[in-house]
Amino acid sequence: MAVLPMKHIHIYGLKRDRKQVLEILQRRGAVQISDDDAEDHVFQKADISVEKMQLEKQAADIRKAVEILDRYIPEQKSMLDALKGRRELPVEQYEKLRKEKDEIFTAANRLIELSGTISECNADIYRLQTQIEGLVPWDSLDLPLSFRGTKTTAAFVGTLPGEASREELRRILTDQAPEVDAVHVEIISTSEDQTCIFLLCPRSDAGPVENALRSMGFARPSFTSDIPPARQTQEWKAVKLGLEQKRRAAREEITGFSGQRVNLKYTLDVLAIRTEKVEALGHLLQSRRTFILSGYIPEREIRPAESALNRRFDDLYLEFEDPAETEDVPVLLENNKFTEPVEGVLRSFSFPGKGEIDPTVPMAVFYYILFGLMLSDAAYGLLMVLGCGFCLRKFKNMEPGMRKTLRMFFFCGISTAFWGAMFGSWFGDAVKVVSTTFFHKTVTLPPLWFEPITDPMRMLVFSMAMGVIHLFTGLGAKLYQCIRARQYKDALYDVVFWYMLVGGLIVSMLSTEKFADILNLNFILPSAAGRTGSAMAAVAAVGIILTAGRESRNWFKRILKGLYGLYNVTGYMSDILSYSRLLALGLATGVIATVINQMGAMGGSGIGGAVLFLLVFLIGHSINIGINLLGAYVHTNRLSFVEFFGKFYEGGGSEFAPFAFHTKYFKIKEETQ
Amino acid sequence: MESLGIIFALFGAVLAALSAGIGSAIGVGMAGEAAAGVVTEDPNKFGKVLILQLLPGTQGIYGLLIAFLTLTQIGILGGSSDITIFKGLLYLVACLPMILVGPWSAIRQARASVASIALVSKRPDQAGKAIIFPAMVETYAILALLISILAVTGIGGLNI
Repeated sequence: MAVLPMKHIHIYGLKRDRKQVLEILQRRGAVQISDDDAEDHVFQKADISVEKMQLEKQAADIRKAVEILDRYIPEQKSMLDALKGRRELPVEQYEKLRKEKDEIFTAANRLIELSGTISECNADIYRLQTQIEGLVPWDSLDLPLSFRGTKTTAAFVGTLPGEASREELRRILTDQAPEVDAVHVEIISTSEDQTCIFLLCPRSDAGPVENALRSMGFARPSFTSDIPPARQTQEWKAVKLGLEQKRRAAREEITGFSGQRVNLKYTLDVLAIRTEKVEALGHLLQSRRTFILSGYIPEREIRPAESALNRRFDDLYLEFEDPAETEDVPVLLENNKFTEPVEGVLRSFSFPGKGEIDPTVPMAVFYYILFGLMLSDAAYGLLMVLGCGFCLRKFKNMEPGMRKTLRMFFFCGISTAFWGAMFGSWFGDAVKVVSTTFFHKTVTLPPLWFEPITDPMRMLVFSMAMGVIHLFTGLGAKLYQCIRARQYKDALYDVVFWYMLVGGLIVSMLSTEKFADILNLNFILPSAAGRTGSAMAAVAAVGIILTAGRESRNWFKRILKGLYGLYNVTGYMSDILSYSRLLALGLATGVIATVINQMGAMGGSGIGGAVLFLLVFLIGHSINIGINLLGAYVHTNRLSFVEFFGKFYEGGGSEFAPFAFHTKYFKIKEETQ
Repeated sequence: MESLGIIFALFGAVLAALSAGIGSAIGVGMAGEAAAGVVTEDPNKFGKVLILQLLPGTQGIYGLLIAFLTLTQIGILGGSSDITIFKGLLYLVACLPMILVGPWSAIRQARASVASIALVSKRPDQAGKAIIFPAMVETYAILALLISILAVTGIGGLNI
């Protein structure tokens, strides 16, 4: 319901107790440690960088080990796992794990080592494979690739580009080097791209032969070996096999570590806790024998924290004081189960800044209503209610953030079902389509109120009326804020005048026949009400012109600014028109649902038609729910953030971030060193 | 000559679905490219960038909506399709807001989405605000949709 009041906390104690004090504070998670006290020659902050780096290094290793395990033995995960939340670790297992600490680190190191071995093996195997493939054309050569000739002969082993025959080669050689006569040419293999040749000539003719070969594009193999290719291939294959075995062994060993996953994750959590504690230690001011801790604590946590600390330590002095007026105090919100769920949406905008109220309650009420109006299909709403309700019941251990989100959609679902029933939409017009197609008589579920598609004007008026209520509630929040801060003048100038202006204009418009005609209204306000409304609006307009620029001393400037302020009335108009999206999005859901039903009914009333209908129905409505859920979510956020918050709320507060256990995998109750 | 009415009307309906659909396809495609880039770096941001990718997709749906409404009004989906040439032209005109604003706003919205995807990739905690920027553009598609809806549903009652 509110922003919880915060107090400053100062803890003065003996240095020898500091770690235990921090431990208790961390376990309670009620204090946000601040860092704004200055050091002097007595009190100084400890340098924690070395210790922190060590912890971070350890955490990095373990994280890597977990990643390796996840890569080689993927965990079976289902969609619902995200709902299960962190597991609680039983005390006995916790004790066991503490004793196995060294073992866990050894396991992590070994895992990293094994993963290194595997990637090395992979690289080597790949290299060997390319070499073996490169050697294939040379297979029939019975001399090693490195063979360069004997004492009296020179040998050329290599490739020529393109396909060439022995005769062709000989002819070119005699053309290019006529003086050479004794040449032995052998074609080892040919393909379209290259010809592998072996050429032998007297050593004395090596020069001209080589030149002739060069001109043909001769190249020696890019790799060499001292044994004949066929044997070399075998040898490499043997090495490759060995590497593959090594790789398999490493993989198997990794698989053997699967039991360590829990331990590794647990260790990671412990390290996270210790890192946070070390960081907290770095914020303490310490003298030789004492320490000072400063921070923020919510008022309601003071008593329990005090008693917990005083019970353990005799030489501890606690001091609490109110934060200064100007201070930017961290914000902690408290709301009931109905309104709390939209805190997540509020967080994505901003938490209340200095002097602002917690907007959660009005925001939540309208959030649910507007969301329901936009989705507005009773069946979709019931599906949401059932889905979210089931998950909320089934997964008791869900993380709080997830629980809030689901609860929000639960309430949004109720509202969707309500408005859907009002507007007579159950999977669009599914009831009518099914009854006419398959049972040949028309049954309709009549809307409890009216059907927007047949009377869009009425829906438009309703949407805008909803908008006026939403905006006026926002203005009301501003009024409350002003009164709370005792700024009565501001309340009059910035709120009451606008109520009068916008309200007066609406009343006077509603009293004109023309307007009632456009909007298809079935009522018209008496002209006396219209005149009062106009008068009210006029007074307010004058008031706004005179006061909107009140921070300017210069009267000329002030009036100009006032006129500009009055121009803001167009802002109200566009704000109200903006709520027409309630109509548009509501119709979108209904019309697309109708299209889906009609498409499904195209197959007629036979068995085939029924199957087609079922398929189209399931797929189509799933997509429609998805798309329109997204649309409703986004646009409800927009209406809340832009139109509603625009009237009174800026945000800018920072969220209360207590020093606590922030673990990723387990809920850990106790942490002792 | 009389049958020209239904042609004009159908032309408007089809064009609304067509142009808004093309606009949304381009838009969702653009945002998808950006989103895929972010997910290569951090697969955990999938959910957040998916929402941003889908935002420019709504115009296509609005186009479909107008097309469908018009089709039912002019009797193509059953009923009498006896439309005068004037009414046919009126339907075409009624579809114009969606035909023009739909694709345009989808593409512009996609550009805002792409920028917001970049925002989310750097500041994932600001995802809530990132959604609002493209959603602002959508307002104009919604206004166009609204006028098209009102016009299309209103024409039937006219005596021309």
